[in-house]
Parts: sequence; C-alpha cells; structure tokens
Amino acid sequence: MTIVTIVKQVPEAEARVRVQGGALDLAGATFVLDGMDEYGVEQALRLREAGEASEIVAVGYGPRETEQALRTALAMGADRAVLLEASGLDDPLTVALALAEVVREAGADLVLVGGKQADWDSAALGPALAEALGWPHVDWATAFTLSGQAFESVHEIDDGSETLRGSLPLVVTTQQGLNEPRYPTLPNIMKANRKPLDVRPAATEESRSAARSYAVVERERRRVVLEGDASSAASELVRRLRDEAKVLG
Amino acid sequence: MILIVVEHDQGALRKSAFELVGLGRSLAIASGARLAALVLSAAGDDLASELARYLDEVHLVRDARLDPPRAETVTRAVAHAAQTLGADVVLLPASRAGLAYGPRVALRLCGSLLEDVTSVTFEGDTVVATRPAYLARVSATVVAKAKPVVVSVKPGAAPIAALADTSGRVHPLAVPFAAEDLRLEPSARQAVVKGRVALEEADVVVCGGRGLGSAEAFERQVVGLADRLGAGVGATRAVVDAGWRPYVEQIGQTGKTVTPKLFLALGVSGAVQHLSGMNRSGVIVAVNKDADAPIFRVTDYGIVGDVHEVVPALAAALEGPD
Amino acid sequence: MDFALPEELRALQRTVRSFAQREIAPIAAELDREPRFPWPSLRAMGALGLLGLTTPEADGGAGLGSLAAAVLLEEIAAADASHATIMSVTSGLPQALLVRHATPAQRARWLPRLASGEWIGAFCLSEPHAGSDAAAIRTRARRVADGFELSGTKAWVTGGGEAHLYLVLAATDAGAGARGISAFVVERDQAGISFGAPEAKLGQHAAITTEVRLDACFVPLEQRLGTEGQGLVMALQALDGARIGIAAQSVGIGRAAFDAALAYADERQAFGVSVREFQGVGFPLADMATRLEAARLLTLRAAWLMDRGRRVTKEASMAKLFASEAAAFVTDAALQVFGGYGYSREYPVERYFRDARVTRIYEGTSEIQRVVIGRQLYRDRDRAEAPGREAGA
Repeated sequence: MTIVTIVKQVPEAEARVRVQGGALDLAGATFVLDGMDEYGVEQALRLREAGEASEIVAVGYGPRETEQALRTALAMGADRAVLLEASGLDDPLTVALALAEVVREAGADLVLVGGKQADWDSAALGPALAEALGWPHVDWATAFTLSGQAFESVHEIDDGSETLRGSLPLVVTTQQGLNEPRYPTLPNIMKANRKPLDVRPAATEESRSAARSYAVVERERRRVVLEGDASSAASELVRRLRDEAKVLG
Repeated sequence: MILIVVEHDQGALRKSAFELVGLGRSLAIASGARLAALVLSAAGDDLASELARYLDEVHLVRDARLDPPRAETVTRAVAHAAQTLGADVVLLPASRAGLAYGPRVALRLCGSLLEDVTSVTFEGDTVVATRPAYLARVSATVVAKAKPVVVSVKPGAAPIAALADTSGRVHPLAVPFAAEDLRLEPSARQAVVKGRVALEEADVVVCGGRGLGSAEAFERQVVGLADRLGAGVGATRAVVDAGWRPYVEQIGQTGKTVTPKLFLALGVSGAVQHLSGMNRSGVIVAVNKDADAPIFRVTDYGIVGDVHEVVPALAAALEGPD
Repeated sequence: MDFALPEELRALQRTVRSFAQREIAPIAAELDREPRFPWPSLRAMGALGLLGLTTPEADGGAGLGSLAAAVLLEEIAAADASHATIMSVTSGLPQALLVRHATPAQRARWLPRLASGEWIGAFCLSEPHAGSDAAAIRTRARRVADGFELSGTKAWVTGGGEAHLYLVLAATDAGAGARGISAFVVERDQAGISFGAPEAKLGQHAAITTEVRLDACFVPLEQRLGTEGQGLVMALQALDGARIGIAAQSVGIGRAAFDAALAYADERQAFGVSVREFQGVGFPLADMATRLEAARLLTLRAAWLMDRGRRVTKEASMAKLFASEAAAFVTDAALQVFGGYGYSREYPVERYFRDARVTRIYEGTSEIQRVVIGRQLYRDRDRAEAPGREAGA
C-alpha cells in the first residue's frame, strides 16, 4: 500500500512577516516544513513500521524551495518525493486538483496532510483533496490505526471528539496529539540527498480565488502594566476593566 | 441569491446562525439579492420555524441520515440546495464542521472558497473578503474569481441579527443522498462537559497556560475564575499537550479562534501560534511572572506576578464594592 | 573560492538548529541553576548522531567531516554551552583517538557505544600539577602481568563519574618525558577508578567536572591504545580537532549573546526611541557582529583544511584563540547592552558571559595558543625555505 504525505514549506512561526505597499514581505524569514504536515510524515512512517504500508511518497506543491521540506520528509524516512513547482500562493481548491493527479498516479490509498497550513491559515487542503479524489476524509485526527484496508480514527469536532471507522481510500488531516514527529538522523539527512525527487511544473488551471492585498494585523493595545502587590494590582485591574475599558459590569 | 447554512446544537441554533443572518441581510440589501437560510436536521421543525422569524425564506432538509452529521452528508445537502436554489453566495460558519465541508461544497459546485473570513462585501458583482494569514500576523484581502462563492465566516465577524417584522415560510427540501456519503461510520462521540458557555460564543474567556503548573491548579484558578465570571475556558497548546485539559478548549493555530470582549490570559507566555487564536479579542489582560513574556506585547492590562497569588486577589477584588 | 556551505550541510544545520532550540535551549537556564549531567537530552542528541559526528558510519557514527562538526557544534553551543562541551569531548577526543589508533577489536568494543551516545567518553590528561605542561604528568602506568597498573590523579575531567569510558594518559617510562607517555582506556566499572565531587565552577554547570583518581587500577593489555610511548603525540594530534571544536563552541555562545542583545536593543525604549538608535549601543553591536563573523570564518577554514588532510596545528590554534577571545568580548558587550538586566539572572546573557569564560582556558589557554602559533610561524618559514617545498600549498 502506498501512502502519499503532503508537505508544505512555510515561514517559521517566529519569523517576522512585513507588509509593504499592500504586498507581503517575507525577506529574511526562515522557511521550514510545516509542523502540521510533519505529523503526517511521522504517521506514515509509523504505519510502514507497523507493516501496513510499503511505500511513502512525499508530495509538495509550491516554489522550488519546497524541495527543502521534501528533503526533510525524505530524511525522516519517505521513499521518494514529487514537487509540483508553482510560484505564488494558489488557493487550496486549485492546489487540491493538481495534487489529486499525483495521488492517482502514485496509486495511493491513503493521503496524509496537515490540518492547517501555517502560511495561508487554511484548513481546506485536506477536505478539498478528498473531494477532488472522490474520497471521504477525516479532519483533525488525533489517533489513526490501520488494519489492512480498515481504519479507525479519533478526530476533533466542535464540541469534543468522535471515533470514525471505515475502509480506505481516505484523506486524513493531521495535527498535534497524533504523534511526536522524529528528528531525522544526521546520516539520514545525508542519504536523503540521494533519494529520488521528481520536480515538474504544476499544470494548474487559474486560481479560483486570490489575495489582492495584505495588511498587518495589529490592534493598538494599551500595554499598561499594573504595579504593586497582588491585591492592589488586582483591585486596580478590576477598576480599570469597569471604568476605563467598560468590559465588566 | 445568498444562501445561509445555519448550525445548531442540542435543539438550539448556535450564535453563529444569528451572526450569519445579520451578515446575509446586509449583503442582500447591498446587492439586491434574495436571501434564504438552510437548516439541516434529523428531527424537528422547531429550528426552521424559529429561523423564519428572522428571514422570509427558510429551507429545511429533514433526514435521519444527517445524524450524526458527517462532512459528506452535509456537503451533499448544501451543494444540492445551492444548485436547486441557484445560490451565488453560500455563507456558512467557520466552525470545525464548516471548515471541513466548505471546501468540498465549493469544489463540487465548481465555485470558489473564501475561507475563515472576518468580513465580506460585494464590489460590484465580485465577492471580496478579508481573512487572517500567516498565523494571523497579517490580514489578506481575497477576491473570489469563480461562482458560486462559498464563504466560511469566523465567529464574531458579524453582529447578531435582530428579529424581523414578518415571519417567513419554511420550505421542505429533499436531498438525494448517495451510499458514498455514508462511507464513514461515526461512533463514540465524546462531548465535553456542557453547562459552561461555548468558547467561541463567550463574551469573556479565561485562558490558562503552562504557568499554572498543574491540572489541579488550572482547575482551581482558571476554571474557578471562569465560573465566577460566567466565562468560557480556554487553554494553550502546552496545557492540552500535557493532558490537563481537552483539545476542544485549545485556543490558537490548531485550536479555536476566539474574539470575546474580554480575554484573560493566566500563565500564558504568548507563542505566535496561540496569539493567532486570540489577538482579535476586545480587551486582553495577562498575568505572568515573566515580565519579558511575549504575551505582554499584545495586552491592554498586564500584571507581572504569580498567578497563584494574583487570581485569588482578583477574585476578592471582583467581590468587592463596585 | 566558495564561502557558502554546501546544501547538504545546510540541511544538517537546519535540523540541528531546530533540535537545539526546541529541546536544549529551554532547559539551559534550569541546568545552570540546578546542575546535573543532562542525560535525557544527551540521549536525544545520540539518537540524531550528534555524539559521534566524525566517527565513521561503519563504527556507528555519523561519518561527517570536521567542517560539518564545527557547524553543528556551533548550533548546540548557541543553545547551551554545557551540552556543547560534553559533545565536543566525547566526540572529539576519545572517539577521535579510537578512530585513528584502535585495533579492530577495540573499535568494535567501544566506538558503536560512544557514537550512539549510549556511552559518554571522557578525556584524562590534565593533572592538579600539570595543565599546560602535559609532559609533566605524574600518573604512572606500571607494567604488570597481562597489563598495566595505573596510579595517579587526573583533574578537570568533563563527565567525571558520569562518563562510561575514560581515555587516560599515563607515563609508562617516567624517564622519557613526552615520549614516555601512553594512552589507556579505562571503563567506569573497573576496580581502582574513583571520582571526586563535582567542581564548583563559574559557568557550564551541567558539564560536570571532577577529579578522576586511579589507585592501582589494573588495565589489561588490550586496553592500551596505540603504540607504547606514543600517547602524548596522539593526544596532541587530536587536540588540533578539539581546538576547532572549542572555537566553534565559542562562536555559538557568542552568537546566542549577540542575538539576545540585537533583539533587546530593538525592543528596549529609552528617551522615546529604541536604544539601538544610540551609537553607544549600535557601535558595540557592529563590533560584536564583526568579531563573530571573523571568528566563524577562521573556525570554518581550519575545519575545511583539516577535511583536506592538512596538518592544521597553527590554524586550529588561531581559530581557538580568536574565537574564544571574541566570545569573551561579545558576551561582555551583550551584557552591557542589557544594562542592569544583563547582570540579572532573569536574563540569559550573564550565563553566556560565565559560560564563555572557560573557552579561553581549556584545551590550551590563550597563552598556550600563542606559543603554539608562534612556534608554527618559524616552522612554516623554515619549511617554505627548504628546497623542493611550496609555501602555503
């Protein structure tokens, strides 16, 4: 059984994101494999270690630099990688349609993808990819086991969690709690450079939605630090919340 | 026409339903479009009737297969309704459920998706929205380029609608569900303890971080203060990962986004991923013993001190004379 | 001439930086306050391959070169200097000596355990009365049936009592000076080896340092490493690599201090502007950055030359001398940028300042490095003047 694990290269969480003239400025930001996707790569490795998968293909979509994220996935243990090279941010629906082709070509029965992308803050890729493939999906999985074609998964819903059962094919979106991703070992990082990585241009249709401009989100905050011991600071806080901010009755 | 998909829980419409009605109304007035709402329910017409007090046209899909809700059955129903009714815009709540079926509906309708938006307007014929990006560090203005447009709307993005003068009509709608919509077999739903106000709907949120030190301290300080204030309880990723609190209480990148009038962060350091889930709150208060904690960069009022001393003092101050 | 690190090395660097910042940096302050040998994080480092960097893959190591080792050591040091010291010692001294001089049986017995981090290795050369003057050591190895009996006291042993393997230098021929010293491997469980209490030190508290006492400690013949009488020569050779390690560590500590100062000078306001606007802050930041950059270049070049099979005694000493002095300058200047907060234990800069101080002392003091460099200058000149040799080749 082949598993496809989708990876994305995103700016580090601590990176500074600037906006200049409505355009995004990511100069100087360090890019890393999206943490949400890392759980997917790890889960694929664990399924293979449990004898439930034979091949793991890491698939990326994005600029050439995405190769780095794919190499990380290869160093963690994926067998080969495919990069659909595309510039700019295409919307998740467009990306899903392009990725679906690669999934079909790989003959995969299971696709793992991060629950939310740290660049577009989008949770749409997994569900959209499932739709493009005509498969069901499990979103926000915190547990996933496979026995042959039968799977069982626990996932987060609005008011709690739910267990889902079914049989492959399936798209799963991954998140924290699912597993603890491993660091690639140094020798495996070196070996990852020799694993096959197939780069091809993404033949996509026109994006169905696009970002027109950006603005920095920063609300002006009062940034008042209340001094004094615990009890006087607390009294002052309550007074200010009532009289100044008027958020307490 | 503009179609609103409403969500409900335990026989009551969610707060998001009224926000979407309010948003739908203003969009309908601005564009001259027809406005309708869609209720998906396994039982009872009460919800549809209640909704008909807010707008003229309500469509009700009553089908036992909608319980428990699955992304695929909801996708089928919403896509079918949108097609049958000729919707140009579909508004739905950006709940976990909405974020899961929204993309599927958009793709099935060969339309576009504006996801998790904080505002939405028409520019002529084009739907334009704003939404957070890059862990909510920036806000992007996004433009839909294909129709219909599916828009998932963040909680708190629109004011709650008032009752309308006229009472509307409820139209039953049959949906041709297929076997493939029922491929996943849900079981063992674990709902979190109810009785407290839902996090996304709360006017006040008390959120605890790792600085609390233990699950017991979290319960005593954070939950205790939340109960006193009638507030929702939130937690950081570190707290959830440590198993002190359930995932549904997590606020941040992988958890919920909240926009209460007042947000109290207790022992929260303020990682970027967490800030992305609460930085649009009205007034932010933080208590942390580390004066250098990043949380203080986004707070209105900060107290540098031990939560175990400050929270009891706060409780005492709240008891005191107004 | 290409100053860019190769992509595969940058991939290693990214992973190790992320590991170090996530797994080590957050515990550094606590380890400084409550010192303990950091076994859990050392195990994690071992799993990645960080404790056997230059040991061949066939012996269980990561099989990397000196350049990679220097780059990765800087990353660990930027998170915590103690971890870097332990890493530098186990990887750079006992393992480097075993790789070069061990018999196949010795390799199989010790290298896989050390390279994986299951065992930590320690290096015992200095003595209470013999630091820089290594030939003056008093620890004796007396020949007995089937082996040797070691007696004496070793000082400043990183990992003393915690490490499983001790590479001990002892005199087999007391009259032969530097040529009478041999190297032995002593395991922690052997009879006759014991450890002093951890030294109370200025910094690097988690890199536990103790005396190691050998009291008629029997060491079988198969635990002597290399040829008898060649111990000091072997050790001094390995010190070239170890000095590059200390240079890389110095750059790492300095970088952590510099980054903290850079961020603080941006955030801290005085007289209505960021303090970085003042020349009194901006100029030291410029000097810090410049010295760090120079230190890194010297370090990486020495490592690069070593990977090309060159004898790098002079280059390693230059890198070690310059980088450790730069770390002292940078950590001191960073502390000054922080003002009163810099002196406070609430902020990490005073720790960087204390941790950096020893880089000017161990693996040869700054003064010894100058001696080494000075001696090499004439050797290089004489070699250049000798017929049939090319200068600088």
